[in-house]
Parts: sequence; C-alpha cells; structure tokens
Amino acid sequence: MALLSIKNLSIGYQTKAGMLKAVDNISFELERGRPLGFVGESGCGKTTIGMTLMGLLPGNAHILGGSIGFQNQDLIQLNEDQWRRVRGKEIAMIFQAAMNALNPVMRVDEQVIEAIVTHTPDISPADLDKRINELFDLVEIPRVRMKDFPHEYSGGMKQRVIIAMALACNPKLIIADEPTTALDVIVQDQILKEIKAIQKAMNTGLIFISHDIAVVASVCKDICVMYGGQIVETGTREEVFRNPRHPYTKALLGSYLSLDNELTVVIPDMRETPDLTLESGCCRFAVNCKTCSSACKAEVPQWIDISGSHKALCCDETIIRNSHE
Amino acid sequence: MSNLKKYPLIEMKGVTKEYSPRKRFFSKCQNKVLALNSIDFSIEKGEIFGLVGQSGSGKTTCGRLLVRLEEPTSGSICLNGEPINKLKGIGLKTYRSKVQMIFQDPYQSLNPHLSIAETILEPLVVNGLGNAATRREKVLHTLEIVGLSPADDFYDRYPHQLSGGQRQRVAIARAIVLDPDFIVADEPTSMLDATIAIQLFQLLTQIRKRFDMAFLFITHNLAAANYLCDRIAVIHEGHIVEVNTANNIIQHPEHPYTKRLIQVQPGFDFNG
Repeated sequence: MALLSIKNLSIGYQTKAGMLKAVDNISFELERGRPLGFVGESGCGKTTIGMTLMGLLPGNAHILGGSIGFQNQDLIQLNEDQWRRVRGKEIAMIFQAAMNALNPVMRVDEQVIEAIVTHTPDISPADLDKRINELFDLVEIPRVRMKDFPHEYSGGMKQRVIIAMALACNPKLIIADEPTTALDVIVQDQILKEIKAIQKAMNTGLIFISHDIAVVASVCKDICVMYGGQIVETGTREEVFRNPRHPYTKALLGSYLSLDNELTVVIPDMRETPDLTLESGCCRFAVNCKTCSSACKAEVPQWIDISGSHKALCCDETIIRNSHE
Repeated sequence: MSNLKKYPLIEMKGVTKEYSPRKRFFSKCQNKVLALNSIDFSIEKGEIFGLVGQSGSGKTTCGRLLVRLEEPTSGSICLNGEPINKLKGIGLKTYRSKVQMIFQDPYQSLNPHLSIAETILEPLVVNGLGNAATRREKVLHTLEIVGLSPADDFYDRYPHQLSGGQRQRVAIARAIVLDPDFIVADEPTSMLDATIAIQLFQLLTQIRKRFDMAFLFITHNLAAANYLCDRIAVIHEGHIVEVNTANNIIQHPEHPYTKRLIQVQPGFDFNG
C-alpha cells in the first residue's frame, strides 16, 4: 500500500482578487523508498502541497476538496490536537531558509532535544543522549560543535541541523522544501548527497520540492512537474526529463543551462503568469502555450497516458503523442 | 586617438579591499577581513565578462568597487585608462552615468512609490538630459528595447503590478537608458525562474550586440556564466584563481577549485 495517497486535492487562498486556486485537483501516490520530486516555478503550488502535508497552511487557505490518505487516516479531517501528534513525529519537514528556521537564542543541541522530548516525553536521559549523538553523527556535525549557537554555524551546517531535527523522531515521511536553495553549489552538493544517503538508510518516504530540475533529478526517482497549481506531467525521472511531452516541461528543460552540452537551450516565450482565479480544471498553461488552440481555452485538459507511469495533462492528445520534434 | 585604443574599457589593477570590524567597547581586537586580495582583470568594450564564485568569495564586493559604491583599500580601477579612485563632483557624476548596475533582487531594487516611467526617467532627469517630450520618447523606446511592449501600457504602472521578470526588465531599462559603456549585473537572475532567467540572458545578449556595451556578470552559477560570457574569472576567497575564455574554463579547467566547481554542478546523471 502506498505510504501517502492524495486524491483530487484542491487548495485555495482567499484574497481580495477572489479565491486563488493554488493547488487544483492534484492526485498522486508516494511509495516508501521512491523519492518523489515536485518541480515548477514560483507560485505553482509546490510549497502549498508541502505545507498542507504538515498542517501548516496559513489562515486564508481553504481546502476546497479531496483527501490525503496517510496511515489509514485522512489528514484533512485531523483537528489541531491530532495534527500535533503527526507533525514532526510521522511527517517532518526540512525547510528552505536554514538561516531562519533555527531559534537564534537556543543552543543547537537543545533545539534537537526539544524535537525529541516533545514527541517522546518519557525518554530516559541516557537514551536521549545516545539519540542526540547518533543524529549529529548522522548529519556529520562534530560533537564538539553541538553546544554552539546557530550564528556560529555556516549555512551548510545549519541546514544539517535542520535535517537532524527532521529525523529526530524517525518520521515515516520527510518533506524537503527547497532544502539547498539558499546554499551555494559546493555545499548544495554535500547536502544533496546527505539527503540521498539518509533516505536510503532509513527508507523513509521523501517528497522533494525544488525549482531546479537537475537537483530534483539527482534525488528523486519519480517526478511531478507543476504549473499554475496543476500537475502537468508525471513519470519517472528518465521519462520526464529524457522524453518530455508537456509544452511546459519542454520549456523548463529548454531553459536549463548545464555544462555538458547534452541539452540544447531553447528559449521559451513565456511572458504571462498563470491566472489562478480561473475555474478549476482549465488549462493554466494556455496563456503561454505555443501550441494552444481556441479549443484549449474552452475544453478541460485530460490525462494522456504515454506509458504506464508517464502521463501528461493536455487538451490536445496529438501534441502529447507526437512529441518528437 | 590611437593612444586611447591601447587601454581596455575597464581595468582593475592590484585591487585589495579590507573590511575592519567595527570597534565596540567590549569587543576583542579582531583581525581585518580581506575581501579582495590583489585583483587584476580587464574588460574590453562590448565584452561580457563573468565573475563566478561561492557566497563570500568577494564577487559582489568587486562589483560594488567598480560602480564606486565602495573605495578600494589599495590598487586602482581605470576606465579607458583613467583612474577613477580620485574622481569627485562632476567627474564622478559622469563616471556614474557611464557605469551602471543591475541588482540581484528586483523586488527590492525598484522604489515601490515610483511608477515605471518615473524609475526610468530619474537618471535622465538627474543628468539633465533632454526635455519632457524627448525624455518620454526615450523611456518608451527603452521599454520597447527591454521587451516591455506595448510600452504605453507599462509606462504608468507601478512595480507591484509587474512580475519578477518584468521588474528585472525595468531594472535593465533603468541601467541602459543613459547609454552606459559598462554595466555591472550582480546575480540578475538568481531570484527568477529558469524559464524567465533564460529570456533575460537573451535580452542581455541582444543589448550587448545592439549597443556594444560591456557587462560584468556576477554569478554563482557556472553554467549560466558559460552560456552568457565571453570570458570567465573564477574567484575564491578574494583571489582570482583562473581567468580564461568560457569554453576553456569549462573544457580545460586548470585550478583545482574550478575543477571542483564543475564537478558539483548538478547534471542529469540518473545514478543512485
């Protein structure tokens, strides 16, 4: 059985401009040991998905429909008390801004201890000590630095502490939301290797969110490409990145700059931001789509299967099928 | 005139920049921070020169020195062979009209109280160029160049009505409206999505071609520098470790740090 199974999830933000559908009718399943990556531009709803899974949506957000199946319960139905038992213990998050995610006036080890004690109040001091040492070893922070304050750490080390906190209670699912965006390439490389190694060793479920397709490709086996609150293409990383079908995935890959000249740069013509106030189900990419026809704006896009695991959302089946230009 | 041609457009010679920690009553005596250590490089007319390094390597300091937001501790910076260190008054104003900057964050570098027109007009007004009618013409023309068309449509808008990519285009318009010789672009696309960033790179290339402007492109992304730049300098802890053509830097890196940077670039190798 899948660890996490999301069905037809829609989330909206109430704003002055009306209800913005930040997540529009999304369905996916996550297996243990098969990291799932979400990639897309800013505002496409990827962080909203992460926050929903942590029960941390802001006040103006409304779950408009759908279900989140996790361990025989629907997370949407949980009240705040029940959430507290899940959040951090069963589902943990590695946040983007390592600089701001730590409490500046608490020693680093105390912050990790806090995470453990909150969920296992009756842990013995000896066990706690052992667990803390284990965690710091796991993320490769020398024990002499455990009693430091966050400002004494570099960006990479802070991100490691965040990872240690996320792992503190052996969660079944970890959500990593842009965990390396604030770091430079060399540190990013180390942190990504660490996340991959830990995921493998502990066999947790991992949802990895990033705007950088290469980072997602290096960590995740399965990929969901998002645009304007919708998943527009999904498949294994080989399928999605070697054989992209949706016009947006192609634009994303075409704009990726790499050092190996394997990918040719194709400059997309994408000027418009997607209109999130549109009715649910409409193609959000139509405003930027070169292959868009008038029918696209009227019709509701359908999932078109390319292979068992690979599918794309589009109104025009021929565009998706005849994708080899 | 023949004499002038020998000089590169802009040149840094032995430039060193130290920051001394602020003295506080209780603070222990701390060592000075050497942000840049004896930097030498030159940029030719119409060239896009990349400066690549990690955070804290001194790349932004370099850009700030070039537009004289800061003074070097020692060494000299020359524009067309003329040292700029001692410039004051009119001389400095002229220099600043020839050398412009595009900042990293388009959400912070545009004044939210100024309309797009006012933002781009300001350099013209400050430098007393043209009258109201010609200025308006110039602003509309510049908006078209940076791809904000129809220009009339954008003229009276405010920054909050624009997307990140459009804002950065306004910042570029503001930088090129005085027809400068040289533009420092400090991570101009690091806040933008890949599909938007690549369109901006295309715009910068077009501007270079059309006006023969030189750029210093500061970035942490080696692949972006490789795409955009003619030559690349790799900077590490305040030293330039390697300067070469973009192609040579990527294909035949010499310094171990450059090799390391290339090796950690995420690619599409589906192992593990």
